[in-house]
Amino acid sequence: MSSFYFEDVEEGDEFPPLDLFLTKDQVRRYAWTANMDFPRFTDDEGARKEGLPGMIAPGVMSMGLLARMISDWNPAARITRIGTTFRSPVLPDTRLHLCGAVTQKDEQTHTAECDIWMENDDAERWVIGTATLALPTKSA
Amino acid sequence: MALDFDRSILGTVFDETLFAPITKEEILEFAAALGETNPLYTDEAAAANGPYRGLVAPPTFVTKLRPNKMTPENMPKFGKVGFDGGRDLNVFEPVRPGDTLTMVSKIHDIYEKTGRSGSMYFIVLRNEVSNQHGEKVAVIDHRIMQR
Repeated sequence: MSSFYFEDVEEGDEFPPLDLFLTKDQVRRYAWTANMDFPRFTDDEGARKEGLPGMIAPGVMSMGLLARMISDWNPAARITRIGTTFRSPVLPDTRLHLCGAVTQKDEQTHTAECDIWMENDDAERWVIGTATLALPTKSA
Repeated sequence: MALDFDRSILGTVFDETLFAPITKEEILEFAAALGETNPLYTDEAAAANGPYRGLVAPPTFVTKLRPNKMTPENMPKFGKVGFDGGRDLNVFEPVRPGDTLTMVSKIHDIYEKTGRSGSMYFIVLRNEVSNQHGEKVAVIDHRIMQR
Protein backbone atom coordinates (compact mmCIF):
# COMPACT_ATOMS: atom_id res chain seq x y z
CA MET A 1 0.00 0.00 0.00
CA SER A 2 1.59 3.26 -1.04
CA SER A 3 0.39 6.84 -1.03
CA PHE A 4 0.80 9.23 -3.89
CA TYR A 5 0.26 12.86 -4.69
CA PHE A 6 -2.16 15.08 -6.59
CA GLU A 7 0.56 15.59 -9.22
CA ASP A 8 0.77 11.82 -9.83
CA VAL A 9 -2.93 11.54 -10.70
CA GLU A 10 -4.29 12.17 -14.17
CA GLU A 11 -7.81 12.61 -15.49
CA GLY A 12 -8.90 9.26 -16.89
CA ASP A 13 -6.86 7.24 -14.39
CA GLU A 14 -8.76 4.15 -13.32
CA PHE A 15 -8.60 2.79 -9.81
CA PRO A 16 -7.47 -0.80 -9.44
CA PRO A 17 -10.80 -2.67 -9.18
CA LEU A 18 -11.65 -4.22 -5.85
CA ASP A 19 -12.96 -7.68 -6.70
CA LEU A 20 -14.64 -9.56 -3.93
CA PHE A 21 -17.04 -12.35 -3.21
CA LEU A 22 -19.47 -10.83 -0.72
CA THR A 23 -20.65 -13.56 1.65
CA LYS A 24 -23.82 -13.54 3.74
CA ASP A 25 -21.67 -13.67 6.87
CA GLN A 26 -19.83 -10.53 5.81
CA VAL A 27 -23.16 -8.76 5.24
CA ARG A 28 -24.44 -9.90 8.66
CA ARG A 29 -21.27 -8.73 10.36
CA TYR A 30 -21.61 -5.33 8.71
CA ALA A 31 -25.33 -5.13 9.58
CA TRP A 32 -24.61 -5.88 13.23
CA THR A 33 -21.75 -3.44 13.60
CA ALA A 34 -23.55 -0.70 11.65
CA ASN A 35 -26.82 -0.88 13.64
CA MET A 36 -28.63 -2.26 10.60
CA ASP A 37 -29.57 -5.67 11.94
CA PHE A 38 -32.97 -5.76 10.26
CA PRO A 39 -34.22 -9.11 8.86
CA ARG A 40 -33.69 -8.01 5.25
CA PHE A 41 -29.95 -7.69 5.94
CA THR A 42 -29.49 -10.72 8.18
CA ASP A 43 -31.60 -13.66 7.02
CA ASP A 44 -33.20 -14.98 3.85
CA GLU A 45 -36.50 -15.94 5.46
CA GLY A 46 -36.99 -12.49 7.01
CA ALA A 47 -36.07 -10.82 3.73
CA ARG A 48 -38.58 -12.95 1.77
CA LYS A 49 -41.33 -11.87 4.17
CA GLU A 50 -40.54 -8.32 3.05
CA GLY A 51 -40.93 -9.34 -0.58
CA LEU A 52 -37.25 -9.59 -1.41
CA PRO A 53 -35.70 -12.60 -3.17
CA GLY A 54 -33.40 -13.13 -0.18
CA MET A 55 -31.21 -11.13 2.16
CA ILE A 56 -29.54 -8.08 0.67
CA ALA A 57 -26.59 -5.90 1.62
CA PRO A 58 -27.38 -2.48 3.14
CA GLY A 59 -26.88 0.37 0.68
CA VAL A 60 -24.47 2.05 3.07
CA MET A 61 -22.34 -1.10 3.03
CA SER A 62 -21.91 -0.69 -0.74
CA MET A 63 -21.00 2.93 -0.10
CA GLY A 64 -18.48 1.84 2.52
CA LEU A 65 -16.94 -0.72 0.16
CA LEU A 66 -16.60 1.93 -2.56
CA ALA A 67 -14.85 4.17 -0.03
CA ARG A 68 -12.56 1.23 0.79
CA MET A 69 -11.76 0.78 -2.91
CA ILE A 70 -10.56 4.42 -2.96
CA SER A 71 -8.61 3.95 0.28
CA ASP A 72 -6.96 0.78 -1.14
CA TRP A 73 -5.92 2.78 -4.20
CA ASN A 74 -4.43 5.67 -2.27
CA PRO A 75 -4.55 5.60 1.54
CA ALA A 76 -3.64 9.31 1.57
CA ALA A 77 -6.68 10.34 -0.50
CA ARG A 78 -9.19 12.02 1.79
CA ILE A 79 -12.80 11.55 0.75
CA THR A 80 -14.55 14.89 1.25
CA ARG A 81 -17.73 13.85 -0.53
CA ILE A 82 -19.18 10.55 -1.66
CA GLY A 83 -22.59 10.12 -3.22
CA THR A 84 -24.15 6.84 -4.21
CA THR A 85 -27.36 5.79 -5.92
CA PHE A 86 -28.69 2.33 -5.11
CA ARG A 87 -30.07 1.15 -8.44
CA SER A 88 -30.64 -2.47 -7.65
CA PRO A 89 -30.58 -4.62 -4.49
CA VAL A 90 -27.11 -6.03 -3.82
CA LEU A 91 -27.45 -9.77 -3.29
CA PRO A 92 -24.71 -11.53 -1.32
CA ASP A 93 -22.95 -14.71 -2.42
CA THR A 94 -22.13 -12.86 -5.62
CA ARG A 95 -18.86 -11.77 -7.17
CA LEU A 96 -18.73 -7.99 -7.08
CA HIS A 97 -16.38 -5.54 -8.72
CA LEU A 98 -15.88 -2.08 -7.25
CA CYS A 99 -14.48 0.30 -9.81
CA GLY A 100 -13.78 3.94 -10.41
CA ALA A 101 -11.98 6.52 -12.49
CA VAL A 102 -10.78 10.10 -12.08
CA THR A 103 -12.95 12.39 -14.20
CA GLN A 104 -11.63 15.84 -13.31
CA LYS A 105 -8.78 17.46 -11.42
CA ASP A 106 -8.96 20.87 -9.76
CA GLU A 107 -5.52 22.50 -9.61
CA GLN A 108 -6.71 25.18 -7.18
CA THR A 109 -8.09 22.93 -4.47
CA HIS A 110 -5.95 19.83 -5.19
CA THR A 111 -9.03 17.72 -5.41
CA ALA A 112 -10.10 15.09 -7.89
CA GLU A 113 -13.63 14.22 -8.96
CA CYS A 114 -14.28 10.59 -9.75
CA ASP A 115 -16.95 8.22 -10.93
CA ILE A 116 -17.39 5.12 -8.81
CA TRP A 117 -19.55 2.05 -9.26
CA MET A 118 -20.21 -1.50 -8.15
CA GLU A 119 -21.00 -4.10 -10.78
CA ASN A 120 -21.59 -7.84 -10.96
CA ASP A 121 -20.00 -10.36 -13.36
CA ASP A 122 -22.53 -9.34 -16.03
CA ALA A 123 -21.37 -5.72 -15.79
CA GLU A 124 -24.71 -4.65 -14.33
CA ARG A 125 -24.07 -1.55 -12.27
CA TRP A 126 -25.99 -2.09 -9.06
CA VAL A 127 -24.57 0.99 -7.37
CA ILE A 128 -23.28 4.13 -9.08
CA GLY A 129 -21.89 7.33 -7.67
CA THR A 130 -19.33 10.08 -7.59
CA ALA A 131 -16.76 11.20 -5.06
CA THR A 132 -14.49 14.16 -4.39
CA LEU A 133 -11.00 13.37 -3.11
CA ALA A 134 -8.57 15.77 -1.47
CA LEU A 135 -5.04 14.70 -2.34
CA PRO A 136 -1.72 15.63 -0.77
CA THR A 137 0.42 17.86 -2.95
CA LYS A 138 4.17 17.98 -3.49
CA SER A 139 4.14 21.79 -3.30
CA ALA A 140 2.72 21.92 0.23
CA MET B 1 -47.16 19.66 -11.29
CA ALA B 2 -46.38 20.82 -7.80
CA LEU B 3 -46.56 18.15 -5.15
CA ASP B 4 -49.24 18.61 -2.55
CA PHE B 5 -47.71 18.76 0.92
CA ASP B 6 -47.21 21.22 3.75
CA ARG B 7 -43.97 22.96 2.78
CA SER B 8 -43.38 24.14 6.34
CA ILE B 9 -42.05 20.66 7.15
CA LEU B 10 -38.98 21.35 4.99
CA GLY B 11 -35.99 22.26 7.14
CA THR B 12 -37.81 21.67 10.42
CA VAL B 13 -35.71 19.73 12.91
CA PHE B 14 -37.52 16.54 13.93
CA ASP B 15 -34.78 14.88 15.91
CA GLU B 16 -31.64 15.72 17.84
CA THR B 17 -29.65 12.82 19.25
CA LEU B 18 -26.52 12.89 21.41
CA PHE B 19 -24.56 9.64 21.11
CA ALA B 20 -22.41 7.87 23.68
CA PRO B 21 -18.67 8.44 23.23
CA ILE B 22 -17.27 6.64 20.20
CA THR B 23 -14.95 3.81 21.22
CA LYS B 24 -11.76 2.65 19.58
CA GLU B 25 -13.24 -0.84 19.40
CA GLU B 26 -16.26 0.22 17.36
CA ILE B 27 -14.05 2.10 14.90
CA LEU B 28 -11.80 -0.95 14.49
CA GLU B 29 -14.80 -3.27 14.11
CA PHE B 30 -16.46 -1.01 11.54
CA ALA B 31 -13.23 -0.85 9.52
CA ALA B 32 -12.81 -4.63 9.76
CA ALA B 33 -16.41 -5.26 8.63
CA LEU B 34 -15.58 -3.39 5.41
CA GLY B 35 -12.22 -5.13 5.01
CA GLU B 36 -10.31 -1.86 5.35
CA THR B 37 -6.54 -2.24 5.60
CA ASN B 38 -5.68 1.48 5.66
CA PRO B 39 -3.61 1.92 8.87
CA LEU B 40 -5.37 5.25 9.54
CA TYR B 41 -8.45 3.17 10.41
CA THR B 42 -6.94 -0.10 11.58
CA ASP B 43 -3.59 0.44 13.32
CA GLU B 44 -3.47 2.77 16.30
CA ALA B 45 0.33 2.89 16.48
CA ALA B 46 0.82 3.62 12.76
CA ALA B 47 -2.04 6.16 12.77
CA ALA B 48 -0.35 8.06 15.61
CA ASN B 49 2.40 9.01 13.14
CA GLY B 50 -0.05 9.82 10.34
CA PRO B 51 -1.77 13.05 9.30
CA TYR B 52 -4.43 12.84 12.03
CA ARG B 53 -1.97 11.99 14.86
CA GLY B 54 -4.21 9.14 15.90
CA LEU B 55 -6.77 6.57 14.84
CA VAL B 56 -9.79 7.89 12.89
CA ALA B 57 -12.93 6.22 11.59
CA PRO B 58 -13.50 5.41 7.90
CA PRO B 59 -15.49 8.20 6.20
CA THR B 60 -18.78 6.26 6.04
CA PHE B 61 -18.67 5.48 9.79
CA VAL B 62 -21.21 8.26 10.48
CA THR B 63 -23.84 6.35 8.47
CA LYS B 64 -24.05 3.83 11.32
CA LEU B 65 -25.33 6.43 13.79
CA ARG B 66 -28.99 5.71 14.54
CA PRO B 67 -30.92 8.76 15.71
CA ASN B 68 -33.80 8.37 18.18
CA LYS B 69 -36.23 9.09 15.38
CA MET B 70 -35.17 7.93 11.91
CA THR B 71 -38.14 9.65 10.25
CA PRO B 72 -40.48 12.44 11.36
CA GLU B 73 -43.92 11.65 12.73
CA ASN B 74 -45.44 13.67 9.89
CA MET B 75 -43.40 11.87 7.22
CA PRO B 76 -45.32 12.42 3.96
CA LYS B 77 -46.50 9.34 2.10
CA PHE B 78 -46.80 9.58 -1.66
CA GLY B 79 -46.50 5.94 -2.60
CA LYS B 80 -47.18 2.44 -1.38
CA VAL B 81 -43.59 1.27 -1.05
CA GLY B 82 -40.37 2.93 0.02
CA PHE B 83 -36.84 2.16 -1.13
CA ASP B 84 -33.44 3.33 -0.05
CA GLY B 85 -32.62 5.44 -3.10
CA GLY B 86 -29.14 6.52 -2.12
CA ARG B 87 -26.90 8.57 0.11
CA ASP B 88 -24.82 11.68 -0.30
CA LEU B 89 -22.19 12.14 2.34
CA ASN B 90 -20.11 15.28 2.87
CA VAL B 91 -17.19 14.81 5.23
CA PHE B 92 -15.64 17.75 7.10
CA GLU B 93 -13.84 16.41 10.18
CA PRO B 94 -12.67 12.91 11.07
CA VAL B 95 -14.33 10.90 13.85
CA ARG B 96 -11.92 9.88 16.62
CA PRO B 97 -12.20 7.59 19.64
CA GLY B 98 -13.78 9.49 22.54
CA ASP B 99 -15.78 11.86 20.33
CA THR B 100 -19.30 12.60 21.48
CA LEU B 101 -21.33 13.22 18.36
CA THR B 102 -24.65 14.96 17.95
CA MET B 103 -26.97 14.38 15.02
CA VAL B 104 -29.64 16.86 13.99
CA SER B 105 -32.23 15.57 11.51
CA LYS B 106 -34.61 17.37 9.19
CA ILE B 107 -36.52 16.87 5.97
CA HIS B 108 -34.32 18.62 3.44
CA ASP B 109 -36.27 18.26 0.23
CA ILE B 110 -39.21 16.56 -1.44
CA TYR B 111 -39.50 16.18 -5.19
CA GLU B 112 -41.11 14.12 -7.89
CA LYS B 113 -39.58 12.45 -10.93
CA THR B 114 -41.53 10.96 -13.78
CA GLY B 115 -40.03 8.07 -15.70
CA ARG B 116 -41.22 5.30 -17.99
CA SER B 117 -42.64 3.36 -15.05
CA GLY B 118 -44.62 6.33 -13.74
CA SER B 119 -44.05 8.82 -10.98
CA MET B 120 -41.50 8.42 -8.24
CA TYR B 121 -41.30 10.58 -5.17
CA PHE B 122 -38.11 11.41 -3.33
CA ILE B 123 -37.92 12.51 0.27
CA VAL B 124 -34.46 13.69 1.26
CA LEU B 125 -33.72 13.40 4.97
CA ARG B 126 -30.67 15.34 6.10
CA ASN B 127 -28.58 14.33 9.14
CA GLU B 128 -26.04 16.91 10.33
CA VAL B 129 -23.33 15.47 12.55
CA SER B 130 -21.18 17.62 14.84
CA ASN B 131 -18.68 16.81 17.58
CA GLN B 132 -18.01 17.94 21.15
CA HIS B 133 -15.84 20.83 19.87
CA GLY B 134 -18.78 22.25 17.93
CA GLU B 135 -17.14 21.29 14.63
CA LYS B 136 -19.24 20.14 11.71
CA VAL B 137 -18.23 16.50 11.12
CA ALA B 138 -20.49 15.37 8.29
CA VAL B 139 -23.76 15.93 6.47
CA ILE B 140 -25.64 12.87 5.26
CA ASP B 141 -28.47 13.19 2.76
CA HIS B 142 -30.62 10.10 2.63
CA ARG B 143 -32.85 9.79 -0.45
CA ILE B 144 -35.94 7.76 0.25
CA MET B 145 -37.78 6.80 -2.90
CA GLN B 146 -41.50 6.13 -2.87
CA ARG B 147 -43.66 4.80 -5.64
